[in-house]
Amino acid sequence: MRQAGTYSRILSGGGVSGRTGPHLLPLARIKKIMKKSSVDVKMISGEAPLVFSKACELFIEELTKRSWDMTIQGKRKTLHKEDVASAVATTDVFDFLIELVHRNAADHVDDVSEDHAP
Amino acid sequence: MANEHDKMLPIANVGRIMKQILPPTAKISKQAKETMQECASEFISFVTGEASERCRKENRKTVNGDDICWALASLGFDDCSNAVVKYLNKFREFEQERAAMNQINEDEDEAAAGPSNSSKSKYHSK
Repeated sequence: MRQAGTYSRILSGGGVSGRTGPHLLPLARIKKIMKKSSVDVKMISGEAPLVFSKACELFIEELTKRSWDMTIQGKRKTLHKEDVASAVATTDVFDFLIELVHRNAADHVDDVSEDHAP
Repeated sequence: MANEHDKMLPIANVGRIMKQILPPTAKISKQAKETMQECASEFISFVTGEASERCRKENRKTVNGDDICWALASLGFDDCSNAVVKYLNKFREFEQERAAMNQINEDEDEAAAGPSNSSKSKYHSK
């Protein structure tokens, strides 16, 4: 993947601030989400949001890959939210998302704003 | 659901990560990105909950990196857990090296300042 980049990203990364810096995800935002998750969460070490920035990246990549498999099966080129729902339904480790994606599926129209990598 | 955008990861960042794993010609609908954004936030809450439960049982107040790694493995995200443990170790190595470099720099500064003046005794006895 991007192992070589990881270390240099950490080196030039700097502290936990609102800036994303070279991390792909903003550490301060991650920390907010962590705190909101439970009243039991009182203190969070500086490392924890950093660990999550990597974990989330891997999670998003995995779910995206599996969703894309659904898109391909449907002979399409645009990844729709239904593909995400299908990927969730067919992967045990994503069971915690079943309710979330079904809630989303209640709003039908998936508007295709074409969006591809520049 | 109330507008809770500040409780989710930014959609631009999420979109970027999605794009980097897909073929260049792939397209992603806006709602797919929004769904992914919500899933990622749910992922953080889910794993944090597991990690903080462990801390509670062990009477610890601070959720640390190791707790997150443990929770990932405990919830079945094995590949993720392994990769993240390596990432965390690299980060800790880097922090140690940085601390060591700072120590060396401090030592050099002290040396450059010169030895402290040994008091020349100007004791005159008459």
